[in-house]
Amino acid sequence: MIGTGDGNRPPIKEGCRIQAAETDSSMHAGTEELRLRVQQLSLREQIERNHFLLMRLNAASARLIQSIEAGDVFDAIAEIIANLIGSEEIAVFDFHPSRQDFSLAWSLGVEADALKPFLCGAGMFGRAVQQGMSQFQERQPEAALLPFEKNLTACVILKCSREIVGVIAIFGLLPQKNGLEWSDYELFKFLETYAAVAIQYQRLQGRQVSP
Amino acid sequence: MEETSAYSVTQKGEGVMSTKKILLVDDSCTARLVNRMIFSQKSNYVLISAVDGKEAVERAKREKPDLILMDIVMPRMTGLEACRVLKKDKETERIPVILLTTRGEEQYVQEGYASGCSDYLTKPVNDVELLDLLKAYLGE
Repeated sequence: MIGTGDGNRPPIKEGCRIQAAETDSSMHAGTEELRLRVQQLSLREQIERNHFLLMRLNAASARLIQSIEAGDVFDAIAEIIANLIGSEEIAVFDFHPSRQDFSLAWSLGVEADALKPFLCGAGMFGRAVQQGMSQFQERQPEAALLPFEKNLTACVILKCSREIVGVIAIFGLLPQKNGLEWSDYELFKFLETYAAVAIQYQRLQGRQVSP
Repeated sequence: MEETSAYSVTQKGEGVMSTKKILLVDDSCTARLVNRMIFSQKSNYVLISAVDGKEAVERAKREKPDLILMDIVMPRMTGLEACRVLKKDKETERIPVILLTTRGEEQYVQEGYASGCSDYLTKPVNDVELLDLLKAYLGE
């Protein structure tokens, strides 16, 4: 009968009113508790996600430091990308500012013949240098890619003392990896600087003449 | 920079929990580092590590871990070969082996299960997924 509006609603007794108010109040408390619980879970998830990201960054950093001792910085970069990001098709290019071109420094899982030296102009590599920012395939229009960039997932610039010294090209992702996630972008930011520094360090070490 | 071969992550001031020994097998230092950090979230795990399948078999026989988490592509002896050896040995046949690898192709998954592994996970690893799986196998 409630809400029929036919005027025949039975009078609500005082006790019923109190009971109804108590029910309303307990329902409100229940809803509020649920809202707080959802909020709490969301915050916990954020903390856990950040914690996981920090663990990955920590592992990446430790591996790079180890590579300085061992002299295997490219292997370290490959391990970090394979284990923490999810790709085994990687190439590292040197950038030559005077000639405005790239040359292959190291590669894994990609045909080195397809990665001949090329001029920095159009495409993802070109934009990476022009903008001084890493480029990602999912943010690029198809038409703006060079032929060999079709399978390129990311073009991560390597910056040393604010100068671009090269790029890490990440081609296909592992079959189980559907796309890049927010924590992958954070790892790329880390590699932009610290992988570049580690590569430069290794090169300087190679140039040192034994006494 | 190599991590210590074994250490306990048991913390003081917590209730008594049965300690579980996990053997972590991976030739990649990065993988061992990140997994070690993931496991450090659990206070009752004791971690030991090996860098290839041959060392894994030796350590498993000697230390009888509660669970083995193993990569597939490794030098000297692959994870698949090591898993087959462990499953044929009376001393180690009951230890659950979880293969954790970059190889997500169907062929590898099938080969993994054919080698006798209990579960198959692909990299990059998700910490929540990994810890949940471990809890399930370790009866927690």
